[in-house]
Order: sequence, then C-alpha cells, then structure tokens
Amino acid sequence: MSQWVIKGIRTGIKTTAYPRGAENAAGITPGLPRGGSFGTGAAALIERCLTHALDRTDGEISVNSRRCVHCYRCVRGVEQPLNWETTYEWAGAGGVPPLTNELGRPFRRSIHVLVVDAGDCGACLNEVKQLNNPYYNMHRLGFFITPTPRHADVLLVVGPVTDQMRFALKKVYDAMPTPKRVVAVGACALSGGVFAKSFVCANGVADVLPVDVEVPGNPPPPLAILHGLLVAVGRKPPSQTPAPAGHAPAAAAR
Amino acid sequence: MNTATLLIVFFAACGAGILLSTAVRPAHQGLVLAWLGSLAAVAAVAAGARVLLTGEVFTQPLWSLPGLTTLTLRLDGLSAAFVLIAGLVLLPASIYAGGELRSASFRGHERPFTVMLLVLYVSVVLILIAGDALLFLLAWEVMSILCYLLVVTSPDREDGQLGSAYLLLAMGEAGTLAAALGFLVLALGASSLEFHALKSGASALGASARWGVFLLTFFGFGVKAGLVPVNSWLQPAYAAAPRAFAPVLAGATLNLGLYGILRVNADLLPATLAGTGLITLVVGTASALLGILYATTDNDLKAVLAHSSIENVGIVVAGFGAGMVFVATNHPMLAAIAFVAALYHMINHSLYKALLFFGVGAVETQSGTRDMDRLGGLIKWMPLTALGFLAGTLSIAALPPFNGFVSEWLTLQVMLRSAELSSTGAKIVFALCGAGLALTAALAVTCFVKVFAMSFLGMRRSDDGRRVAEAAPATLASMAILATLCLAFGVLPTYVIPMLDPASTQLARASASDALVPPFFASAQGHGALPEQFAGEFHDLGAQLGQAVLPGRGLVVLHRGGTENPVVFAMSTSYMLLALIGLLLLSYVVIRLWLTRGRRLARRERWDGGVRRLLPEMTYTATGFSNPVRVIFDAIFRPTTVEDTRETVAEHFRMAIRREKERVHVVDRLVFRPVRSATLWFAHALAAMHHGRINAYVTYAFVALLIVFAVLPMS
Repeated sequence: MSQWVIKGIRTGIKTTAYPRGAENAAGITPGLPRGGSFGTGAAALIERCLTHALDRTDGEISVNSRRCVHCYRCVRGVEQPLNWETTYEWAGAGGVPPLTNELGRPFRRSIHVLVVDAGDCGACLNEVKQLNNPYYNMHRLGFFITPTPRHADVLLVVGPVTDQMRFALKKVYDAMPTPKRVVAVGACALSGGVFAKSFVCANGVADVLPVDVEVPGNPPPPLAILHGLLVAVGRKPPSQTPAPAGHAPAAAAR
Repeated sequence: MNTATLLIVFFAACGAGILLSTAVRPAHQGLVLAWLGSLAAVAAVAAGARVLLTGEVFTQPLWSLPGLTTLTLRLDGLSAAFVLIAGLVLLPASIYAGGELRSASFRGHERPFTVMLLVLYVSVVLILIAGDALLFLLAWEVMSILCYLLVVTSPDREDGQLGSAYLLLAMGEAGTLAAALGFLVLALGASSLEFHALKSGASALGASARWGVFLLTFFGFGVKAGLVPVNSWLQPAYAAAPRAFAPVLAGATLNLGLYGILRVNADLLPATLAGTGLITLVVGTASALLGILYATTDNDLKAVLAHSSIENVGIVVAGFGAGMVFVATNHPMLAAIAFVAALYHMINHSLYKALLFFGVGAVETQSGTRDMDRLGGLIKWMPLTALGFLAGTLSIAALPPFNGFVSEWLTLQVMLRSAELSSTGAKIVFALCGAGLALTAALAVTCFVKVFAMSFLGMRRSDDGRRVAEAAPATLASMAILATLCLAFGVLPTYVIPMLDPASTQLARASASDALVPPFFASAQGHGALPEQFAGEFHDLGAQLGQAVLPGRGLVVLHRGGTENPVVFAMSTSYMLLALIGLLLLSYVVIRLWLTRGRRLARRERWDGGVRRLLPEMTYTATGFSNPVRVIFDAIFRPTTVEDTRETVAEHFRMAIRREKERVHVVDRLVFRPVRSATLWFAHALAAMHHGRINAYVTYAFVALLIVFAVLPMS
C-alpha cells in the first residue's frame, strides 16, 4: 500500500529546474528559426515557407515567429539551412500600448488562470495540460487553473478564435475582474496560423481582445507557456523573439 | 379586562360574525371575516397572555350532567399558551382569508366559508379551554368535521380533492375514536370526566392502563398533529385545502393534536414511565427526519410546506418526549426546559408556517402554479411578498436572528442534557435522536434555500406570459404581522420563555424561568438570585447591557449547572443581532472605504458560461438542486420506475430517453398499503360466506346457537 511513498523517495525530485535554472533535457523544445543575414537562396527559402513566416528586410531574412509552425522546411531539404535556435524562453510582450505585461506585486506568486479553447486543434491545449503534470508542475510557482472568469487573473487563450467562440471570448474577458491579463498561446492564437483569416475564424486573439503576452510555437512547448505566464506576472522579462507589433511584416505577406 | 370578559369578547365576535355573514351581501363577507375574525383573535391572544402573565387560572362550570360530568371551561397555563398561539395565527389568517374571499375564484362560496371558518375558531378555542373530556371531545368532533367541510368547499377544485378530504376525515375520526377510548381508560378510576377528577383518579392506574392510555391518545391525537406513521392525510389535505384555509390548518388545528398529547400524557397522567417518553422522542425524531426528507425532494410548494409541518411537529414532539423522560426520571428542571423548548418551537412553527402559506398563496394566485420547476425570478415582480417569504424561510431554516433558531437550539441543548440520565439505553436513544434532529436542521436549510431560491430568484422558468404583480394588500399586511412576530420571537427569547413558563411549570412541576433567563437586569451588581462571582463575570461581559431601557430579566438565555460546570449553555440572539448589525456595518466600511478605495467600480453582466442568451431551461432546477438528497436517501424513497423507454434510430442513434419514477411515501408503503390489503383480504375471506343460499344462513345460525349453548354453561 505504501509502496508509492518509498518509490517517491527513491525517485527523488524530477520536476524541471526551470525557472530557477535552465532545462537542458533532450527534446524539451522544437525550437524556432532565427533569421539573419543570408546570401543566395534567400528568395527560395522565403518561397518554401508555407505560412509566410519568413521575409526579407534590409537584406536579411527576418522571421515572424507568430506565423511559424516549425515545419522545418527552411532547415531540412535545403542546401543552406536557416539558423535554428533551440531555446524555449520565447514568450514576448503583446502589442498593447503601453506595455502592460505586469499584473503588479500582489500577483507575482499566485495567479489563477482561465484556459479558453477558442477553436484549438488540441495541440496547444495538450501542451497547456502538461503544465499540471509532475514534471512541469505549475502549482509550485503559484499558478492555478480556475474554471470561472470571476476568479481568474490571467486569460490563457489557445486557437485562432473561431466565429462561434468570438462572442464567448469577449464575454469571458468582460466577466474577469481587473487587473487582468491575456496570454495568447500558439501560432493560431497569435496570427490565425494555418487557418489564418478565413470565413470561420479571426486572425488570432488580438482581433478580439488586447493581448498582453504572446507565446509563439505550434504548439509551444510547456516551458514556453510557463515562460509566458512568468512574463505575465513579471517574474521573467519578455523575449524579443516575436517582434513587437507594428514591426511585424505580417501584413506584407498577405 | 379579566379573562372571562376577554373570552366573552372572543365568542361574541365569532357569533356576531356568523350572524352578520348570513345578513350581508357576498361581496362584503371578506370584511366581516377580516374584522370580526381578527377581533376574536385579538381577544384570544389577550386572554391567553393574561393568564400566562398573571398566573390566574380561569375556571367556569357551565352545565352539570349528573352522573357524568360538569361541562367546564378552564383556562390554565397549558391552555393559555395554546390559546395565545392560536390567536396569534388566527389574527393574520382572518385578514388573509378576508382578502382571499374577494378573489373571483371564491364566488358563490363566500358565505359558507365565512360561517364555517368562524365556527372553526370557536371550536378550536373550545377544545383548548375545555375543562372536561366531554366538552373537549364534542368540540374536537366539530373541529374535525369543519376541517373536512372547509377542504371540500374549496373554490378551486383539483383532481383527487374529494379523496384527500375524505382521507382527512377518516383518519381524523379514527384518531378521535382512539383518543376517546384513551379517555375512557383514563376515566376508569375517576369519579367524573372533569379534568381535575381525571387527574386525581389517574394516580390509581396501573402500568398497563397507563401504557394503554398513552398509546391510544398518542397515536389518536398524533393523527391531527401529523406524526409518523399516521401522517398520510396531511400532505394531500394541505394541497387540497383552499388558500384561505391552509394557514389555519397548519397554524392552528395542527397544534390541537399536540395539545391533546400534552394534556393527557403530561398533565392528566404525569409521565411515570420513561418508556412512554422514549417512544414519544423516537416517533418525534422519525417524523422530523422523514418530514424534512420528503420536503426537500418535493417540488410542489404546498407539499413542501406540508412535509415540513410533519418535520416541525416531529421536533416539537421530540421535545415533549425528552420532557416526559426527564419527568419520569425525576429531573424536573430539565423537563421544564424541554417543555419550554418544545412549546417555543410550536409557537414558532405556527407563526412561520402560516407566513409561508400566505406567501405560497400569493405566489399561486399571481403565477398560477406551485411547481418550483415552473416558478423563479418572482422577486422582480413581487419584492414585498418575497421579503416576507424570506423572513419565513430564514425562520424555518433556523437561522438567527429569526425565531426558529432559538427553539431548535434549545431543543438540541436539551438533547445534550441526557448526560444527566442514569440509564445507558435512554442515553443512547437520546444521542441518536439528537443526531437525527441535527441532521433534520441541516436538511431544513437545504430545503428552504431551495424553496426561496427556486421560486423567487433566478429567471422565470414559465413562459405562459402571465403578468405577475405584487400580492394583495391584505396578504401583505398579514405577512407583515407574522414576519414581525417571527423576528420578535427570535430576538427577544428572554421575554417569551418566562411567558411560556406557567405552561411548562404545570407539566414539569418546576419553573424554568430562573434556570433559563437569569435576572441580569435585576440590579447592577449582586443579582439576588445569582452567585456574586458568577454575576460579576457576566457583568464584565456586558450581560446587563440594556437594563436602563428594557424591562424584564435580561437578554441572555443561560442554563447554569453545578459548581464544576457553572455554565452549561448560554446564548443571546438579542446581542447577536446587535453584533450582526455591527459586523455588517463594519464589513461595509472595510470594503467600501478601505479595501476598494481608489478603485473603479465596474458592473458587468452575470457570468453565464459565455452563451449567447441564457435561457430559463439552462438554469438550475429545483429537481437538480435536491437531487443529491434524493440519491443519498434512495433507500428510504425507493422510487418505482413507471416508464423507461428509449427511442433509437437504426439501433445506435438514441433520439430520446424517457424515464419516469413514482414515489410512494415510506409510511404508505410500509404501513398503510399492507394494512389496507390485509383488510381487503380479510373482507374477501369473510365475503365467501355470503353466497346467498338460505340453507347456508340457517346453518350459520344453528352453528352460532350451538356455540352459545356450549360456551354459556362454562361462564
């Protein structure tokens, strides 16, 4: 009966060291392409990107990670692959001016997160679910999932916001007490992803709500989502990976 | 005015009402009933209060029947308490019924209803002030028959109404018969049927005769009180009773059963057998528990109130039982406390049950239904009715500062005092019953949260397009009277307990006044009746607060034990109310001025799960609310499945699942149906003899003759 106690003691703590230390386990992140100066073949690479995440600015290839779906077409099967970085701290500040990604001191150690599936394919939702498992264990950081907007401090949205969910998402946001933050998770939530703007869905959460923290990735690994939540409470600085809104060449690609 | 004058005023008012109602037009019957009925009720209240406050017993012989009895009117402490309660309920009930008589549905029934209701008032008071068994039983019969007639002449006929009225009459008469038999056994040793003669003759009765009297009168009168297992008539009769009569049925005539039980088993025949008390206690607890279980799971407002009447009567009778055990085991002080608690609860039940019946009547009049699954959101259209109803639900759920709390708290405290008993068996019974009563109190909260929330809060579930408006002024006035009384009886228990003391003193032969309400107002320090150090400690706590403005003994209910346990229990709803108001103000100040200072107030729509439009069908239903209780106590309810079908398309696609279950009350299932089928079987067996052949009948006569000849020489 009490085997699990002994087993637990023998096994020891397996929970990730992040955010105190770096997490280096293999396969912890799919990584994101990093742009940079690029010689010949840039046009071909940009052509290969099906989601129009790559663009050429000032003679360099820039990556719009809001659109990247880690398809590796810019790395594999090409003679000159694009740079690829395998970090996971890539959650950036959203485009809400002024930059209001910090909830304030009272929320640094305890927030309640409401997860809304706004037309998600299931991938991002699955990664969000991993935060509750013993390895990532978001509770140790004071993050809790709540089912009701009345208790929520952070609204975590996955999916491109289908038309059916648009109204509900607005209602959820209205029902949350201030101060509140919106974390958009996944390429779909940031830009519409492979669904993009179509007759059934919006161009991402920013079309409906002001987004405070953006977590790129398709799906982002759990550590990236954790980083996003830490950015939302101000315990980690936002990364510059998704370029600040306005600089994004998203409009040009369409 | 002395007691006799007040009683004359009562009877004169009722008589004048009866005469007037035969003279005036139907349209004015309501006025007659409201004015003269409430005048009579006020006279009854005054008479009862006068006897309780002065302690003067009023006795008036009326008519001597030689060799049998002298018809006597006698208003002693016990009767006075019941007359007071009856008056308190009949006052608003008259006003309410007067208002109801004007409604269109009553057209053509006004005059008989007025006359019968006023005669019922007379018979109720006559039962309570009868000083001999004959007058008592005569008045009781009149009351029983009038109850039946008043239910039958209901203007809004429903299915099965005649049946339920007939059940009321039949069970009532069976009970009366048993009670009359009990009186006969009681009269074995007495010279006449007057109560004082019965009382002096009762001491000669043996144990078996005592048991006989107890069983006959307990279950005989228990029918009128609605005790398990003789409660089957109660719920259908309440449901069938006209709106104007149901409050009287629940608030006044129900108590008569309790009066009968107390009068015979605690007053005329003082409890010497602890067993009778224990049976009373167990039956009371069973009634309380079963009553509240069925109340919680029913969705018909009137049925909920009916089942909850059974529950409350159960609590009262459990208190009686505790008192009888304490009397039999020679703990007069504890017995006095138990009787005070029980009588207090009985008053409270009458007040809040009548109040709730007024509210249900208003709801039914306005919305046309009593089904909680079709009600909802009524507070928007009838806020005043909702306020009165809320007072009633808070009282019946035993939440302070309303009256139900005081009496249920006292009753539970009495149960805990069973530690003083010497017998282990009795202690176990007390402990189990105490736990049962505690469970009852908890379920009562569930039940009445449901009743109020499902009828008055949320969204309106019915889409019949009826316009709902505030209840009639007469209804609101009668509700206001009772709501005020509920609050007053809850906040000022220290004034009610000494008032009930004459009644409990008569039963327990000890006064609970000093034991429960210590005289903290008597003097600033010293308190003649209290030890100096004890009083000093309570003085420091502020128990004397208010002595400058209030008369009386104090505002703290407190029971003192021996030296090693100076305070057994103590409570003060009066100070609690002050503290509650203070806390409310404090929390307002803290929230508005401190916690939310400098914050903007934002008002958003309620959270509904993000649906486009919240429909009434999507909200919580009454059935869903009480379903956990239904599931947990499934072993008691044992519903039988009536219909269980599923429609499928091509075997796999379910289109609809229909499941309907029917419940038969556990008492009907376990007691009445077997008795009925056994009786029918017996009757069938006897009927086999009657096949109509003359030869057979001659043979029967011959065999009977032979038996007589064989038996006669032996004796």
